[in-house]
Amino acid sequence: MTVWQPKTGEQVTNIVLSALAERRKLSVSGHETKAGLGHPVDAKESLSLTNLSGIVDYQPEELVLVVKAGTPLDEIEKTLSEKNQMLAFEPPHLERFYGTEGTGTIGGLVATNLSGPRRVSAGAARDFLLGFAAVSGRGDVFKSGSRVMKNVTGYDLSKLMCGSFGTLAVMTEITLKVLPCPETSSSLSLLCDTIDSAQLALANAFCSDTEPSGGAISRANEGWQAVIRLEGVDVSVRDRMTKLKSTLQSARTSKVLDKQASEAFWENWRDISMISDDAEQVYRLSVTPSDAPKIASSLLKAYDLELGFDWMGGLIWIGGKGAGLGQKVRQTIKDFNGHATLMRGTEGHRRDVGVFQPQAAPLAALARRIKNAFDPEDILNSGKMGTIGRGA
Amino acid sequence: MLLPEPDQTILCRRDEIISALKRFVPAGAVIDDDTTMAAYDSDGLSAYRNQPLVVVLPETTQQVAAVMKWCLDNDVKIVPRGAGTSLSGGAIPLADGVLLGLGKFNQILDIDFSNRTVTAQPGVTNLGITQAVQDEGFYYAPDPSSQIACSIGGNIAENSGGVHCLKYGLTTNNVLGIEMVTMNGEILRLGGKHLDSGHLDVLGVMTGSEGLLGVVTEVTVRILRKPATQRALLVGFDTVQEGGQAVSDVIAAGIIPAGMEMMDNPAINAAEDFVNAGYPREAAALLIIELDGPEAEVDVLINKVSKIVKTSGASSIRISQSEEERNQFWAGRKSAFPAVGRISPDYLCMDGTIPRKALPEMLTRMSAMSQKFGLRVANVFHAGDGNLHPLILFDANADGELHRAEEFGAEILRTCVKLGGVLTGEHGVGVEKRDLMTEMFTEDDLKQQQRLKCAFDPQHLLNPGKVFPVLHRCAELGRLHVHQGKLPHPDIPRF
Repeated sequence: MTVWQPKTGEQVTNIVLSALAERRKLSVSGHETKAGLGHPVDAKESLSLTNLSGIVDYQPEELVLVVKAGTPLDEIEKTLSEKNQMLAFEPPHLERFYGTEGTGTIGGLVATNLSGPRRVSAGAARDFLLGFAAVSGRGDVFKSGSRVMKNVTGYDLSKLMCGSFGTLAVMTEITLKVLPCPETSSSLSLLCDTIDSAQLALANAFCSDTEPSGGAISRANEGWQAVIRLEGVDVSVRDRMTKLKSTLQSARTSKVLDKQASEAFWENWRDISMISDDAEQVYRLSVTPSDAPKIASSLLKAYDLELGFDWMGGLIWIGGKGAGLGQKVRQTIKDFNGHATLMRGTEGHRRDVGVFQPQAAPLAALARRIKNAFDPEDILNSGKMGTIGRGA
Repeated sequence: MLLPEPDQTILCRRDEIISALKRFVPAGAVIDDDTTMAAYDSDGLSAYRNQPLVVVLPETTQQVAAVMKWCLDNDVKIVPRGAGTSLSGGAIPLADGVLLGLGKFNQILDIDFSNRTVTAQPGVTNLGITQAVQDEGFYYAPDPSSQIACSIGGNIAENSGGVHCLKYGLTTNNVLGIEMVTMNGEILRLGGKHLDSGHLDVLGVMTGSEGLLGVVTEVTVRILRKPATQRALLVGFDTVQEGGQAVSDVIAAGIIPAGMEMMDNPAINAAEDFVNAGYPREAAALLIIELDGPEAEVDVLINKVSKIVKTSGASSIRISQSEEERNQFWAGRKSAFPAVGRISPDYLCMDGTIPRKALPEMLTRMSAMSQKFGLRVANVFHAGDGNLHPLILFDANADGELHRAEEFGAEILRTCVKLGGVLTGEHGVGVEKRDLMTEMFTEDDLKQQQRLKCAFDPQHLLNPGKVFPVLHRCAELGRLHVHQGKLPHPDIPRF
């Protein structure tokens, strides 16, 4: 396979233009740490952004970071932490999960719109992308957004770019909003008898004025463990923890995790520690939080599963095996409302159950028209989002 | 500011169009007499008026879909309208277009405290959502200053902000789902009570699309628990430079206030004359910094901020000791627009955003422009996120003043872009800033945006004449210009 490794935006344009002229398809990638996510791409050539790397501009007091698309995530996180700032959407590090090396590039992260536990309070990757520059599948250089926090000038193409898996355009430069790190954090861990009672504890925590920034449910030896994170100024975290404990005092046993223990728990949870390397198929279910116990029970009745909840119950991670598991997940999500993504699976699984939840026909048709508006010849990451992302 | 030339053939077909529309909606929902239609001839950009072809007020999503499908099939334009509070002319009618009002969609459909969501019809006011949940201690965070009147559907169209979006985000960060109708009459449901649906983020791009991509018929938003405590600092500065520095210093210290507002001397005095908020009249700049959260946290942060602004050069600092005092701090800021209205027959409210650090530079340049155009300007800013609201004072009855005020406004916005900012932070492009789009975007940028429009509305029937200075036909935009074999072979490392 030919791998193009442009060093400048201009070179990216030339590669796309020459591919377009000969209708050659390109697989657009960074470090390929998340190559297991999405459908296999139909392309004989690869456009790798790894050499388009580096921090273009970082202004801590403006809360703005401008980077080239191939900049490694760990380099960005290191730079930010030196100024006590962070990517507040808590991007997961998926190298263990996918058995790959390195943290991947910022471009890959934005393209997959993956967000960690703090999604529930701070927002998703899509909420922090202020702007970008890109080359469309037409070979046109274009930009959208800006470097300021508040901007409604023109369509918000940043939202489309987030989660488009490189099927619309090749991002060359990315502008992100960054935030100060919280001074400290602490978590309350509660042992509950059932998923229902654990989810209820999370709902009560999030409805209280204790401002949680994470809510997870994990399997415990005898029952389920609900974990709620508080972050902020030290005196405030202590104060809110006291309040949280009294709000949730009906739980069987509870324990407070100090800063170190809390950070360790959430880092693991962010990186999908609830799922082992053995799980053959892994699904990520984004659902209405209060539906989570019903959805989980329904799946657990039929399959032996590894399972964990994030986002106050609104995100369910499921690992398991079995021929019918995919269809069962798809049907369950259809019965409720939400979205299931096949995060890990063989090519066969990905083909048979699809990576993404099927869309209603008019919406799928609209998605095809949008793809067509950016990449009419379907040369960028063709098939990555399944038939739904493919040009008409 | 020109709207597209009305299509005479449509004007001639008016009677036919009216009777067709009456088939889709209940009696009385089609308004075609001049007197009643006059209520719809303008929006918040009230310097401009235009009578619509006809007004339709549907009551159900199916009716909206039927009207839109018929208009597509019959080549009739549509201008959607919520409460008509747009400050950029987003809802200004077209003489040859149907005005589609969503005012009858005024019900709250679902309040779900355990998932912290509210589902409402698009005509419900922004404040109406907060009012529906405030007894239980919740609120909807985005708070545009028109919140008492503006509709949640209009908020989606404009991606509305407000004083508190520094900490809590714009509309786009608080919407979970919508139901919408596309120009071809298809009803789409995007998102729901869950987060991040996967697939292309159509919900994200619909938000802030200014009524050009679809008509929103239902909205699900996230609500938040009201913070336990809110306190504010009122800080005066002798120079705007010091005020601007203080804004940067607070953020650089890792503090994100719930709101951080700035007023310049003319705005301070106009507000003081109007409501007697106790503002320091001699100050060159005044900051209101609000902190919210648990009491212990707010106390700590108030002290920190107080120290920071002192170092930045504050000449006066007051800290609110009660809710009453906090509201008093805000009273002047919240009445800044009517206060300025008192000292001038007319004013234009601009809305650019700049990087925070460029605030002093911007103010210096604005005073020079004020001299140049011979018009006064008063400034209120959402300083925390660099969003400016210069109020240009003029008299529409004085010959040429409206034109001069508009020229002044355009120069301010061009300067915003030059300083690394944007044309609009929260009011939208509409017709007001349409012709300035090329200041910020290249032709290719704008063409790509219009290609997106073509995916939703290839005939350009939905709210045409807004946002884009030049309308390209979709067939022309779709054409690929590939020069086979003529491309330079890229000299790029590969293996």
